[in-house]
Amino acid sequence: MASTIVTFELGGREVEVLVKPMTTLQSVLRDQLGFTATKEGCRQGGCGSCTVLVDGEPMPSCLLPVEDVAGRQVTTLESITPADGLHPIQQAFLEAYAFQCGYCTPGMIMLSKALLDRDPAPSDEDIAQALAGNICRCTGYRPIVRAVRAAADAIVADSDGQGR
Amino acid sequence: MTVRSYFLPRSLSEALGLLDARGPELLVMAGGTLTMPLINEGISLPEAVMGLRLAGLDRIQRSGETLLVGATSTLTQLLEQDAVPMLREAARNTASWPVRNLATVGGNLFTPPPGGDVAVALLALDASLVLASARGERVLPLAGFWTGFLGTALAADELLVEIRVPLPSGPTAYRKFGRKHANTPAVVTVAVHLAWDGGRIADARISLGAVGPHPIRARRAEGLVLGTRLDTDTVAAAATAAAEECQPFTDAVASAWYRRRMARLFVGRALEQLVPGPAHEGR
Repeated sequence: MASTIVTFELGGREVEVLVKPMTTLQSVLRDQLGFTATKEGCRQGGCGSCTVLVDGEPMPSCLLPVEDVAGRQVTTLESITPADGLHPIQQAFLEAYAFQCGYCTPGMIMLSKALLDRDPAPSDEDIAQALAGNICRCTGYRPIVRAVRAAADAIVADSDGQGR
Repeated sequence: MTVRSYFLPRSLSEALGLLDARGPELLVMAGGTLTMPLINEGISLPEAVMGLRLAGLDRIQRSGETLLVGATSTLTQLLEQDAVPMLREAARNTASWPVRNLATVGGNLFTPPPGGDVAVALLALDASLVLASARGERVLPLAGFWTGFLGTALAADELLVEIRVPLPSGPTAYRKFGRKHANTPAVVTVAVHLAWDGGRIADARISLGAVGPHPIRARRAEGLVLGTRLDTDTVAAAATAAAEECQPFTDAVASAWYRRRMARLFVGRALEQLVPGPAHEGR
């Protein structure tokens, strides 16, 4: 079983890993690199808890052989969390009580980041459609939709502030 | 993890060469949304896998009156094209955003029911498939592609490289019914394409998903609407015929009994959507 070296960008830094064929990006992130914000849920692409961004696009990292992201930019929750404090989406989830056990939250936040990067002012329907692949078994989804909307407002307000 | 070799060919010829050299032992994977879960769970233990993500088969372009869809174009790409609105509708109703970023149009033809919702639309659009091997290329109508549950006409040394979709010559309707509003397996999926001539239906294609071993055409229902002006009695008769001729199954999503009833309801709704209103009299 010949291992190969795969290089990709993780949160702006180049990383190089030695992997057996078809090791998933999820497994590389968690088991080799210790980036455990990305969760392991169903391993079938059905729950959304392992969602990461690849070149800005949300993808289930459990369905991606790491060879497929060679040379591409991977963004996880660790990458968007500031050294001090929280990302506006994290802050909004906290304030809206948008999680209980928190297992689905990293995937929810990465998906929300991808959504808000494309559409700074999504409707509740847009948010629900975008999050349709992210399963939460604790909260119900209303606090999550409220959190994403609040995060959108916060991000817009912040960029307006900076634009002055 | 027992996969010993993972190949990522950078061109079609490289992919066909690998397939020719290694034959059926090589598992072909496109988006990975069907294959990776099986590998992750140890259900499928292939020695060698060929991934097509970098093989350059992911272009969608219009050529005259045909939309050429590269087999590994993603469902997200399909959602972004505007030449065939029904294909956007089908893509929008399939899986979730992150999965659509991986799942391919070609792969959807290999998705067992109750999946394969894009394939249902392609069947109603009378798409044809370009199958390539080291021996050459052939074109096959999609209607002749499936041979049974998980069975296709694809030879062991062939790859599906392109789906050719004639631009619709008349109105289309797409209805997917599942247990949730989004990201849900189908109870039944219905796609319809009609062509009108002098106020009467000159051509009708009604395809059904999740009520058979693969997407199927409801030929008796099509026969009933052909030549008519599509009045409400015709719609009801065609819906009943489609429900009778489909071959629903029972699974965790729905019972065969329920699927047959929903097939009737949703074929009816899809056709009703296309009944000419007063504004269209004399078309």
